[in-house]
Amino acid sequence: MSYTLPSSKMYPANHKTVFVLDHTPYFGISCENVIEFEFLKGRTSSFIPMTPISKSLWTSSVESAVEYCRIIWDLFPTGKLVRFFVSDTIAHVLNSWNTNQQSVSHILNGCAHIGIPPSHSPLRSTTPTPDYTVLHGLRAAIEGVCEPTEYQIEKMKTDGCKVLNRCRVICITSARDNESMKRLEEIFLTVLNQQNKLVAGNDSLLPIDHCHLVIINTFPINIESSVNNHPPKVLSPLLTTEVHSIKAPQIPNKLSSLILHHYDLASTTVTGIPMKEEQNASSSANYDVEIFHSSLAHTAILKSNASDSAAIRTPKEGLEYDTVTLKWCTPRGVTGNELQNCTAMHRITPVDVNSRPSLCLINFLLSGRSVMLEMPRKAGGKITSHLLAAHGGEIFIHTLCTARSVLEDPPSISEGCGGRVTDYRITDFGLFIKQNTLVPIKIKIATDEQKPIEKMKERLARQTKYWPLTISSTLIFNLKQYIDPLPTLITKEQMTDDEVFVCKKVIFNLISLESKMEPLHPQNTGQRLKGQKREEQYKAMWNELEAFIKCNLHSENHKLVYQCLLECHKFSFDEDKTTEKVDLDEALNQLDNIGAQTKDENAQRASVIRATTDSPMSPPPLAIAAPFGNKHSNKGGSIYNTQKSLFEIFAVQEKSKIRPEFAGRLGDSLMAKLYPNLKTEDRGPRGEGGMEVE
Amino acid sequence: MPTVILLDASLSMTRPIQFIDGIETTRKQLAITGINAFLDHLSVHSKLEFIALIAFSSLYEERCSFTRDYNVIKSELKNIDDYDKTCLETAFHGVNQMILGEWGNNTVCQIILITDGSTGIGSMSLKETLTLDKAVGSMPFSLPFSFPAKLHVVCIAGANEPSFIKSRPLYQRLIDMSGYDGSIQVLEQLQSEADVITLFQKLSEEIYISFKGVLKCGSLDSKIILSPAPVAYTKITDFNSQTYNVSTLIEICGFISVADVGSPMAISRHLILPATASGKNDLTSTTIDLTDENSIDEGNTPSFCVLLHGALKVENMAALVAIGENWFGFVYSWADSKKKSNLMLTILPPGSDIIPWLGDLNELATTDMFPAEQAGTFPLRPSEKRSYSQNGVVWIRQAGLQSDIQKILRHARKLPGKTQQFYKELNRLRKAAVSLGFQDLLNGLSHIFERECMQLPDSAHPDCALQLQHAAEMLRKTQSRDIKFILLPLQTNYNSS
Repeated sequence: MSYTLPSSKMYPANHKTVFVLDHTPYFGISCENVIEFEFLKGRTSSFIPMTPISKSLWTSSVESAVEYCRIIWDLFPTGKLVRFFVSDTIAHVLNSWNTNQQSVSHILNGCAHIGIPPSHSPLRSTTPTPDYTVLHGLRAAIEGVCEPTEYQIEKMKTDGCKVLNRCRVICITSARDNESMKRLEEIFLTVLNQQNKLVAGNDSLLPIDHCHLVIINTFPINIESSVNNHPPKVLSPLLTTEVHSIKAPQIPNKLSSLILHHYDLASTTVTGIPMKEEQNASSSANYDVEIFHSSLAHTAILKSNASDSAAIRTPKEGLEYDTVTLKWCTPRGVTGNELQNCTAMHRITPVDVNSRPSLCLINFLLSGRSVMLEMPRKAGGKITSHLLAAHGGEIFIHTLCTARSVLEDPPSISEGCGGRVTDYRITDFGLFIKQNTLVPIKIKIATDEQKPIEKMKERLARQTKYWPLTISSTLIFNLKQYIDPLPTLITKEQMTDDEVFVCKKVIFNLISLESKMEPLHPQNTGQRLKGQKREEQYKAMWNELEAFIKCNLHSENHKLVYQCLLECHKFSFDEDKTTEKVDLDEALNQLDNIGAQTKDENAQRASVIRATTDSPMSPPPLAIAAPFGNKHSNKGGSIYNTQKSLFEIFAVQEKSKIRPEFAGRLGDSLMAKLYPNLKTEDRGPRGEGGMEVE
Repeated sequence: MPTVILLDASLSMTRPIQFIDGIETTRKQLAITGINAFLDHLSVHSKLEFIALIAFSSLYEERCSFTRDYNVIKSELKNIDDYDKTCLETAFHGVNQMILGEWGNNTVCQIILITDGSTGIGSMSLKETLTLDKAVGSMPFSLPFSFPAKLHVVCIAGANEPSFIKSRPLYQRLIDMSGYDGSIQVLEQLQSEADVITLFQKLSEEIYISFKGVLKCGSLDSKIILSPAPVAYTKITDFNSQTYNVSTLIEICGFISVADVGSPMAISRHLILPATASGKNDLTSTTIDLTDENSIDEGNTPSFCVLLHGALKVENMAALVAIGENWFGFVYSWADSKKKSNLMLTILPPGSDIIPWLGDLNELATTDMFPAEQAGTFPLRPSEKRSYSQNGVVWIRQAGLQSDIQKILRHARKLPGKTQQFYKELNRLRKAAVSLGFQDLLNGLSHIFERECMQLPDSAHPDCALQLQHAAEMLRKTQSRDIKFILLPLQTNYNSS
């Protein structure tokens, strides 16, 4: 499938943004916008007149530019880079394209070192007036955008192709009139062309393919500027410029509107957030919080229904953009425990980061709770359209699917293939899932090494080499009390000597059980295999165990276990067929037969025998009596055990005493060696011995 | 996937045709016969597809909304009148509205345009609207659609007809603009009705291909069908544009609890239906309809899918699956209603680093596979805190600055009990003021402290006045203009102990 690319989407200008801040003496003057301190007024007894506090043009431009970056870096932690150039008599470079210099604190530190704009030199006579101009910064900015970013270098290295070097320069300055503004733009274009010529042929620098120059002309509130705004104007194929002439306190608002265009963002106002009043904790009032995020989060709701979208979209008061108002929906219970049908997901940042309502919403989300947002419908009712949630300390807006689903009336899984089988080993697979739960791994470089996820696939393959799907198709996995922990150990990639020993011990134990002709009691099957002869039962068990271990010969130690099995139990392979080896299919076949046999039996037994012979004193069905994983706790688990007579207990103890002799009688020299160990170890679930007495 | 049949009802469709065998008919009649054949084919092989019908000329009209009852469409086809000229731009606009209203902007849809090879005349002809300068046009051309869509153009015409030869490149351009692979269907020669029927049947076969694959977990596997069939995805980032195809092997890599997965963005969701191992019944015909007789036997054959579904549901876990080269998804138990539970595949955007709180999906494993110090926990946190959890200083709105100063004064009145907090807040404010070159604030605050000092009630602690005076003096000193400077409490008898 080919997709013709809207190439305009690639290599966006917002990858590289440069702020050029005017640091000439003029920017040291006050905005004349006095900050009110209501809380001081009430208590004044006017003996000290308060000196008015007002930001300088410099402070206004720095804080606006930094706020622009705060929003960008919150929303796009990578890939959207901003550099700062400060211009007075020379250009001061505050940061590079390097990722570790892309942070608000780095910029603010830089600004602190630059300090306030210099004052005009009072001693005009002694030294020639230094050349204060923003042009130094603009010139440096053009040089700066020719330096490739890590992303551009990476792209050129991997694909070997040319990248389009687009950029945006935002210059906050102050010009006298339209004429000087025009001259500024022209000089910029000239420098741009010169720079491109200079860069041609230099491999370490990139020519500029397009530059978007945004000039913000600013001045104190008590002044009228003679510079006019002009919308984007194509000065050359390389350069588009626009001019915004605004009073200094308005710069942040202007940049807020511009940022939405520059990064394709949108505004959402979360309305109706219930908040406790600061003064009166018992009452609560409703507040609104405005957030910014990628405009794609709105695509679904704004495109789907024109009249609905018109209703929720309103112009933001006093600003030049629209905000979409969605209603807070107080969460009920724990959300996030199911996978929502989420069609888009974007980071958010509050517009007014330090306001009380914003902090309240942010802290609510960061504490791990999530909030649904509702949108009213013209047709009546409302629809849950978004989800706000924090993940790992970052807050995201999730766009939920509000449209009709093509998966209408799906069949249940039980209606399809395998849907009628009722004895899947769900519990065992649940355990398998838990044992294979993923966590993030911190990788120690070594890129050529196999990725953890690939190792995981190998691990899963190893652990499922022999994994019957249903209870009725396996015997050994229903005999956990006899074979654990062999299945867990044998599926490991490597086995320690101790683990080999444990596995061998399981085999020896089974041998000794067999020699005593003790019946095996499967755990989950719900029937007790009474009709089956013990010899057959053991034969099936040995064959399956052999098949299982044979599937898991992952290392030399694994082979030792297999060898041990072959040595201990005489497999009568040639009885059934001429070949010596039982292959897996054969083993499975046999197992299937057992399964089929027991199933029929089960069906009859369940309806006839249990109904007629089970008395309140009968042991409960094994499936209930022996819950999974309880292999050692059967002493108290079943009512049967609690009813053991003193004689039975005594008999069991007697038996365990004579047991070591029994094993010795096998007469194998190998066995004799391990014999003392057998004596001291736990002899497995002796509780089962009690059942035999029945 | 939902399909819109876009039928040309312009006058040119009524042009008569006489076949060699003498039968006379019109292109419109042929189109209707073709659509009927198309629907008949669907009702046998893909009866759960949603189909809608739009008729258009210079205007458009929604004749049938999306339905699985194809007879409704068939009967509606009998009532289509003849109108004026072909105008595709308007028709596409209508399609866009209709699909967005019904399926939103995420569902892959198909549009079958049935026309006669003439693309209209005059200002609203396709040629005109395509070449129209964007600067002049009040509305941008409606292609590409606002949702993923494949466009198929069926021409009731012979490939050698002059009008078709002229319009073929225009149709191709439409398909290219739509962004996904569509097709142009035309007969070599318009010779018989049967040819038209075959054309439509073939189209139906081609465009409703079910996705057959294998769901694998180590050595366990199950043949599956994905419904709806997934389509290739083109991911465009700032520096890359790459098309990814879903592999027929869907391989489980491990498991993550549903709560840890969160609700990441998905590009599509698909039901995973276990398929028969033997393929004895025609799989192409069964999308999600598995209720024929064969299924009785199949129902009793154990399937890994059912086991997986059961265990995932019980444990409330999701399986991370690799669905292609560096492309992942999650498989989990999903219930439409409370009763009917299903195995669902959610396809993530391509790439391994797409869920920030899970990290690189290639770098996940179980805790026991790596040394303890290398194993982390979900959710992963970014190396840098976002601004909203940094307690940064923003004074763009006056309220921000006012509340910061008020906070300091609140602490000041509680000196010496709040000495630490007072100086901590004061230094935070001072540092911000230095960074922003906000000298007025430093001087102003110094003033405020002095005033505060003079207004202290008699009951105030003596340390209160001392510390305020000290802070006020320090703020005026030039050394406090240094970002590295830290304003320390005055050592007094009251706080030295």
